[in-house]
Amino acid sequence: MLSKWLQSRKITTGRRSLQQEAIPLRKHLKDEAKRKKAEARINGDNISNKRQRTDPRLEKWELTVGIEIHAELNTACKLFSSASAEPYDQQHATTPNSRVALFDAAMPGTQPQFQVATLLPAVRAAIALGCDVQHKSGWDRKHYFHWDQPNGYQITQYYKAFAKDGSLTLRASDGVPAGDLNGADSLVIGIKQIQMEQDTAKTTNVGSSAYHIDLNRAGMPLIEIITLPHIHSPQTAAAVVRKIQAVLRSVDACVTGMELGGLRADVNVSVRQRGTDGTGASYSGVSGLGQRTEIKNLSSFKAVEDAIVAERDRQISVLEAGDVIEGETRGWTLGATETTRLRGKEGEVDYRYMPDADLPPLVIGRDLVQHLTQTLPTLPDAMEVELQEIYGLSLKDAKTMIDVDEGDRVDFFETAVEHVLSSDDEASDSDVAANKRKVGKMVGNWILHELGGLLTTQERSWDDVRVTPKKMSDIIVLLQGKEITMRVAKQLLTEVFEQEPCSEPVPTIEQLVDAGNLRLRPLTQRGYEELAQSIVDASPDMVKAVREKGQKGKIMWFVGQMVRTGDEGTVEPEKAKEVLERLMARNGAP
Amino acid sequence: MPSARFCLRPASRRLPRSNTRHHVTTSRPYEELNACITQHAPSPSSSTQTAKTVAIKDNIATKDFPTTVASNILAGFTSPFDATVVRLLRENDYTISTKTNLDEFGMGSHTQSSSHGPTLSPYSRNGIPLSPGGSSGGSAVEVLTGRSWTALGTDTGGSVRLPAAYLGVVGFKPSFGVVSRWGVLAYGHSLDTVGILGRRLGDVSGVFGVVRGWDGRDPSSLTMRVRERIEEAREVRRRRRRRRKKGGVLRIGVPLEYNIVELSPLVRSTYIRTLERLQSVGHTLHPISLPSTKQALSAYYVLAPAEASSNLAKYDGVRYGTRPTDPDSSPRDNLPLYAQTRGQGFGEEVKRRILLGAYTLSSEARDNYFIQAQKGRRLVQRDFDRVFALANPLLDPPHSVPDSDSTGGEQDEGVDVIITPTAPTLPPTIEEVKRQSPVESYMNDVFTVPASLAGLPAISMPVGLSEEEAKGLEQTDVGSVGVQVMGQFGDDEGVLDVASMIEEGQWKS
Repeated sequence: MLSKWLQSRKITTGRRSLQQEAIPLRKHLKDEAKRKKAEARINGDNISNKRQRTDPRLEKWELTVGIEIHAELNTACKLFSSASAEPYDQQHATTPNSRVALFDAAMPGTQPQFQVATLLPAVRAAIALGCDVQHKSGWDRKHYFHWDQPNGYQITQYYKAFAKDGSLTLRASDGVPAGDLNGADSLVIGIKQIQMEQDTAKTTNVGSSAYHIDLNRAGMPLIEIITLPHIHSPQTAAAVVRKIQAVLRSVDACVTGMELGGLRADVNVSVRQRGTDGTGASYSGVSGLGQRTEIKNLSSFKAVEDAIVAERDRQISVLEAGDVIEGETRGWTLGATETTRLRGKEGEVDYRYMPDADLPPLVIGRDLVQHLTQTLPTLPDAMEVELQEIYGLSLKDAKTMIDVDEGDRVDFFETAVEHVLSSDDEASDSDVAANKRKVGKMVGNWILHELGGLLTTQERSWDDVRVTPKKMSDIIVLLQGKEITMRVAKQLLTEVFEQEPCSEPVPTIEQLVDAGNLRLRPLTQRGYEELAQSIVDASPDMVKAVREKGQKGKIMWFVGQMVRTGDEGTVEPEKAKEVLERLMARNGAP
Repeated sequence: MPSARFCLRPASRRLPRSNTRHHVTTSRPYEELNACITQHAPSPSSSTQTAKTVAIKDNIATKDFPTTVASNILAGFTSPFDATVVRLLRENDYTISTKTNLDEFGMGSHTQSSSHGPTLSPYSRNGIPLSPGGSSGGSAVEVLTGRSWTALGTDTGGSVRLPAAYLGVVGFKPSFGVVSRWGVLAYGHSLDTVGILGRRLGDVSGVFGVVRGWDGRDPSSLTMRVRERIEEAREVRRRRRRRRKKGGVLRIGVPLEYNIVELSPLVRSTYIRTLERLQSVGHTLHPISLPSTKQALSAYYVLAPAEASSNLAKYDGVRYGTRPTDPDSSPRDNLPLYAQTRGQGFGEEVKRRILLGAYTLSSEARDNYFIQAQKGRRLVQRDFDRVFALANPLLDPPHSVPDSDSTGGEQDEGVDVIITPTAPTLPPTIEEVKRQSPVESYMNDVFTVPASLAGLPAISMPVGLSEEEAKGLEQTDVGSVGVQVMGQFGDDEGVLDVASMIEEGQWKS
C-alpha cells in the first residue's frame, strides 16, 4: 500500500519545468520592485515611516481579521477526474477546454472519481501547518448557479474537513509589527481547518454581453485554509498569507505564487471598540467581535493589506458616524482606496450544503500521515535556523536565500556547498562543522551577492541563469586553493553567466582557466619586489604622497598598478600590498 | 407456525390453486401506446435480432440514440458516450433496440409526465387505458408487447417494480451499487438503480449477469471486497442449509406494516395465495415488524427531491441541451440566472420536486427536513438489518472469518426474504391518475420505497389472478398482481431464487 502511495507521489509531485511557470511571477516581482523604487523617490523618506504613522482613531478601535486562503495543489490531475492539472498561466496557456474530462463538463450521467494522488500535497500542507489530519472526512456539495460552475455545485468539505486545529507562528522578521507582538518573540495564529475542494472554470468577458468559458481550470484541486480571527493588523494579515505561501511552497504542496492566481484570499474584517465585546459576534470559539464583512478574491499580498486598511477605515468611519456595519460581501480592486459592496445579507446565497452521496468518505490512514511527516521537506522557519547555524549565514542572508526564487537558491546553495566540501580533503574531522560554516558563508556570498549582482545588472531572472552549482563551486574551489585570484574568479563567473545556451557541451571551469591562461602563477618574492620597485620608480609623485604626506590609502593605487602591470593571474593583491608596504617603509626611513 | 391468514388479517377466503395468466387482449395498436421514443430502422434480419434485443430507458446514455430523459431541456441531446450497462450489453452481442419513454427525469409513477407525451398500458378498463406504471413505463410496455426481448429501466423509488406490477411482467431492482450508474442520468443519486424488465425471470437474470460488476467510473459501485464478502456469506448459508434437516426451507418474512387499509381485495387475496403456496411446500412464514415503514415514504419524498434539486442544477443550457434564444442571464428583468432556460426546459413535476428539494436543503429548513429524513432512512435500514438472517455486508464485518457452520454472517431467528405486494392496488386508469393530487400519486410507491431507501434487492413478480378473482374484471383488464420479494443488501441471488419459485410453482410438491 505504502509503496503505491510513494509511487504516486513520485508521479504527481515532481517539480515542473520552471521555465514554464515562473516568468510572469518574476516579471511581476520586478515590476513591483520598480514601482516601489519609484514610490520611494516620490515620497522621499516618508515611505519608511508610512507604516508607523498611526491613525489616532486606531487607539480607540481594534481591528480583527480572519483569512481564508485558497491554494491550487501541485498535482498531475484534477480532483475528481484524470484530466491534466498542469499549471495554468497566461504565458503558456493551453488551448481552452482541452483538459476537460466528461465529469468536468458535467456531462449528464457522469460521476466524480476521487484521484487519490491529490491527497498527498494536501496532507503535506496540513502537516506543515500543524493540523490534525482527520482519519475520516467527507465531501459535500455547495450549490450556486454561475457559468464557472458546470455542475451547479462545487464539491468541497463543509461538514467534515480533512484537517483541523493547526497553527502558524510568526515573528518580527516575518513582517509582524512590534505592536502585534506585544513584546513577545512570536505570535501564533490559529488555523481552524483545511479543506479540499474543486476550482471553478475560468471566464473571460468578451464584449458587453458575452462570456467565454474555459473549463481547463474547472475541477482543479484546491485547498482552503481557514484561520481563526486572531489577526489584528493589516501587516500581520499580509505576513500570514506570505508565510502560508512559503510553507506551502517549502513542502511542494501548491503550484505557484499568489501573484499568479495559484493563491487567492478572502478576508473577514471587523472592528470593535477597544475594551468592549463589539457587537458580541463570534466565530469558531472566538467571541466578542464586531460585525464582520467579507472581502473576496484578493490575489496579492499588497491587495490583502490594502483592502484590510481600506475596509477597517470604512468600518470605523461608519461606526463613528453612529451607523452599524452590515454583514455583507465586498470587493476590492488593486489601486482602489475603498472596498465596494457586492451583495448584502439578504442577497447572500444559500448554498444548500448537502453531503455528496456519490462519493465514499475520505479515509486517510495513519501510516500515510506518519510517512509524510517523516519525509516532509524542511519548513522555512527550520531552514532559516539551519542556514544560520550550520552554514554560517546572517539572518538577513538566510531570509533572502529562502524568500527569493521560490526557494530554488537554497537548493543551489546546498548543492554548491557540498561540492566545495567534497573537493576539500584537508579538513580534519574536528573542524568539519567550522569548515562548513566558513564554506557556507563564502558560497552564500557568491550566490547572493556576486551572482545576485549579475542578475540585477544584467536584468535577468533566476530561471535564465546557466551557472550550475557545480560550476560555481569549481570557481570557489580554485579560489580557495589560491589557484586563481578573486579578480579571475569574478571574471569566470561573469563569463559563465553570459554564455548563450547552445547544444555543444560547454567548457568546464578548468578548461576556461587553461584556455585563458588564468591560473595563478605566483611570482617569487624577488619577482614581487622587482615589480614593486619598477612601479615605485615610475611614479615618484605618488611615492611622495605616501611617504611625506602619510597618505597610506594611496598604497592601494600601487597595488592596483601591480595587478594590472603583472601578467594576468600572477599577482595576488594581498601579497603585493605586503611587499609594497615593506618597500615604502624601507626606502622611506633613510 | 403462523399461517398466512394469521400474518395478514383480514385474509380473504381460500382460493383455488390455479395460476391463470391472462393474455393481452387489447385492440390498441402498439404505435398508440407511445412506449418508445427512438428506434433503429427495422433491418431485414430483424427476426434473428428480436431474440436478443434490449430496450433502454431514455435516461440511460447511448451514443447512437439521443438521450432526452423525456425532458425538453435535453431535447435532441445525444451523449458522447455509452453508459457502462449499454457498453456491456453491446459487448455481449445484445442489440439495443429502442429508447423508451419515461416520466421526465424518472419523476413519476405512471409515465404520464413525458415531453414525448404519455405512455399507455395495452390494458384498459371501460375503454379507458390503464396506467402502465412508472417511471419505466415505456420499458415495461416494450417488453410486454414483445417488441423487445428485455429492457433496462431505472428504479429510484419503485420505477421498475411498479410498471412491472401494473403490466404483469418481471421487474428486478438489484442492490444499490451492484450495477454501474456510469451513464445513468441522475435523479436521486443515492437511490438510482438500474433495473431489468422481462417477460420471464430467466431472461431478466440473464441480463443481470451481463450488466452487473464493479465499475471504477461509478464511485458508489460495490468494491470487489464487498462483493467477495457477499459471496462468502452466501457460501456459509449454503453449507449451513445443506447440513440442516429441512434443507430447502425458506424463512419468509411477512411485514405487518404492509397490511394497510388501502390494500385492494384482489391484491390482498393474490398476495395471500402466494404466501400460502410457499407455506404449503414447507417454507415457513414469520410475521415481522418494520416500524419505520410509515416514515419511509415521507423520508423518500424529502430525500429524492433534495438530491434531484442538486443533480438537475447542471442543466443550464450552457454546455448542452436547449436554451431560449433571448439572453438568459436576465438581470434586466431581475430574474435569477438561467431562469428562462430552466423555466421553459423543465416540466411541472420536475419543477415541483426541484423547488421542494431546494427548500428542504435550505439553511432554515435543512434540520427539520433533510436531516430528519436522513435519520428516517437510517431507521428503515436498521429495521431491515434487524429482521434479515444475513448480516448487512456494508456494516463492519465480524472479525473472525466465517469458516464453518458457525453463526458467521447469519442471525438465528432472521428471515431469508420478505414478501409483500408491489403496489396496494391494481393499476388505475389514466383518467384516475389525472384526478390524483401529487401526494395521492406518491402513495403508489409506499411498498417499493423502503427497499430503495435501504438499497435492497427487490423484484416484482406477476402472479395471475384466479378465475374467481378475475370474474369481476373485463378481459381487457390486467390479469395479474405484482408480488414483491425483498432480500438483504447484496442477496440478489437469494431474491432471484425465491422469484423463480413463485414463477415456476416449484413448491407444488
